[in-house]
Amino acid sequence: MTSGGTIPDDVRNPLLADSAAVRAEIVDEVGLAMTGSLNLRRCVLQLLTGVKPDIADWAVVVWVNPRTGGLTLWGGDDPSATAKTSRRSIAGQALERVLVTGHTELLHVALEDPASDALATMIPNAGLREQAAALRPVDVLGLGLTARGVTLGALVMVRGQGRGFSEQDVAVGEQLAARASLALDSARLYEQTSRVAAALKESLVPPELPAIPGLDIAARYRPAIEHLDIGGDFYDVFTSGDEWLAVLGDVCGKGVDAAVLTGRARQSIRTAAHFEREPGALLAAFNTVFSQDTSNRFITLVCLRMRPAADGSSAEVDIAVAGHAGPVLVRADGRTEQLPIEGTVAGVVPRVDYPTTTVRLEQGDALLVFTDGVEEARGESGFYGTDRLIRLLREYAGAGADAMCGAVEQDVVEHLDGRAHDDIAVLAISCGGTLGWQS
Amino acid sequence: MAELTVPELDALGAFELALATVDTAAALQVVEGLLANGVPPVVVLTDVVATAQRNVGARWQRGDWTVAEEHAATAVAVAATEAVARHVRQLPVTRGKALVACAEREWHALPAMIIDCALRADGWDTTLLGASTPPLRLGQYLQDLGPDALAVSCSMLGALPTTRRFIEASTTAGIPIVVGGAAFGPDDVRARALGATAWAADAPSAVQAARELPTVVQMAEPLPADATAEQATLELSHRELAGRLQAVWEVDPAVDIAEDAINQTLHAVWAALLTGDVRPIPQTAQWIADLLSARDADPRHAVTLGQHLCTELRDYPLSHTLLSTSWPAAVGI
Repeated sequence: MTSGGTIPDDVRNPLLADSAAVRAEIVDEVGLAMTGSLNLRRCVLQLLTGVKPDIADWAVVVWVNPRTGGLTLWGGDDPSATAKTSRRSIAGQALERVLVTGHTELLHVALEDPASDALATMIPNAGLREQAAALRPVDVLGLGLTARGVTLGALVMVRGQGRGFSEQDVAVGEQLAARASLALDSARLYEQTSRVAAALKESLVPPELPAIPGLDIAARYRPAIEHLDIGGDFYDVFTSGDEWLAVLGDVCGKGVDAAVLTGRARQSIRTAAHFEREPGALLAAFNTVFSQDTSNRFITLVCLRMRPAADGSSAEVDIAVAGHAGPVLVRADGRTEQLPIEGTVAGVVPRVDYPTTTVRLEQGDALLVFTDGVEEARGESGFYGTDRLIRLLREYAGAGADAMCGAVEQDVVEHLDGRAHDDIAVLAISCGGTLGWQS
Repeated sequence: MAELTVPELDALGAFELALATVDTAAALQVVEGLLANGVPPVVVLTDVVATAQRNVGARWQRGDWTVAEEHAATAVAVAATEAVARHVRQLPVTRGKALVACAEREWHALPAMIIDCALRADGWDTTLLGASTPPLRLGQYLQDLGPDALAVSCSMLGALPTTRRFIEASTTAGIPIVVGGAAFGPDDVRARALGATAWAADAPSAVQAARELPTVVQMAEPLPADATAEQATLELSHRELAGRLQAVWEVDPAVDIAEDAINQTLHAVWAALLTGDVRPIPQTAQWIADLLSARDADPRHAVTLGQHLCTELRDYPLSHTLLSTSWPAAVGI
């Protein structure tokens, strides 16, 4: 092997499968393998590949869609193949009896006519029937997949010529079906919940950043509960009229509850920006709405209005802050400072004025805004702190927004060294991209 | 790797210049020009982006560039790869789902991006998780997506332990996993030892390996208990060990490589413990000697680092043996 390839697995000895004890062991193996997956399709694949060749030569899983009644047929010669059929197509057939009663049906296939009634009544798809008939089977076995009181589908198995299902084989098949059904039902339940979660999450994950002529922009986000992908920090970059706005904020709290609030905050800011684009006035409007809306929640924000020169040679940035750390300004020549901009946290007092400060960026200058997950990241030696952030960013003067954000993310996560952390969000804008930084 | 044609060679030169001058616009122009001329995306990724990026790493190693300069150049290569990604996303999906990830502690996001792009170009419906993915997040995506394949990129020896966790997570769900990256070295020995389904040396072989993956795999076998226990203890005491080594190693702090060298040395021991492959140990010694030479320091300090570590690891029997037998007594320059 020179450039790669699949690493071979040990092949199971086919002779062993003849003993009933070994088949019982296979039932355990397949059951265990299926519990390793909470994904319905992967779970079905585990079942279909697990039953071959010891328990069956050929198998399909029939799955009922509880909403439409339609059937999905998984497997056959190729375990990853899928086909669909309607519930009507099996009216009065043996498969329908299995699906309704959950009871086992063992049917004998007439030798002289392999495409016989037995296959037709159990396999509702012509292509799959042909595959099964090609094995010249003696029997076709239909097992109900019943878990927690509901028959979710059926496992249909066929064995080739001369290998009929004995009484014992049917018993093994039933044990397997019972084990498999529980795993499949758990996967079904998980999938249902995860679909709902994914749909809701869609609107709460950080948005893709737009390309802004004359500006280079990047961000990083590590939620406290990292596998959720969402949390109480958020950022947004959008255009309103002929201007660009960026906001970065932190809702009190973590996890899903906080994330829901960030979604509302983002929408409110976007709406307010239709009427008011000066950052101080925008934050004032947002604060009024937000404090009426939520009696006991508050939010810190930093808002930037960016007006880049088309050629990327400079940019005016107006900044307002609500209870949030001021941005760090990193000049292309390495001068780095945190801008002393302050303002009251939003959502507490109904009427607040926010001053707007303007800075001018020249080519290669950058501004980095961040949430308190950065400075309050607690490592072995204490908090990460703003001083460390400023020292790090000085080295990245002129390196561009993405390199800066990446460096901060890595340095903070390495400082944490596996410890729990708050939501961490970083957003950087750099003027004129990185053009001409080095000789 | 295929022989480069003349326009590609010119393109490589132009692309390297764009990285060196941190000129994203110029880098995008090179990549988009090649794609517009019908050069296959995987060739652009392998022969231009990845090749140029290797030189970026070499320039840091030679002491020509600071880490910040290396990162700035890498960000340009990332932007160029994103341009290729935009191009390949317009191609039809003809295969199953593939998840692409970096192990935790793996901060080199570019190789995974390149693999993501190459698999997408081959018709896979890919999902890319960024740098340093925690195992919980990977597990979530494995269950939610139910991919047909997982591809994991690992360039840092220190990320091999979580790569093994990824292999466990993936194979427990029956999902085949293809691994690759500098931490695996030039062959499949480490990949095989860690229980991966397949190993790939570069993007084209990752594409080939992904096509040949089985539908379902069995759970990876457990690793040798004594070796994993010792590696876990080393990992737990990593900061303390690294601190003690930093205190005794004689290299001038101005050379500014001690932290990288010491981390890499300890990580090489982890890698050797988990995979049974001792090669990372002498290779790390040579790598440190090269770093020292490039910075006008005495390369023989690489030899003494091994001796110090040997002393520090006297209570770790397997590691002690590995070091005393594999860390070179002299380094060739």
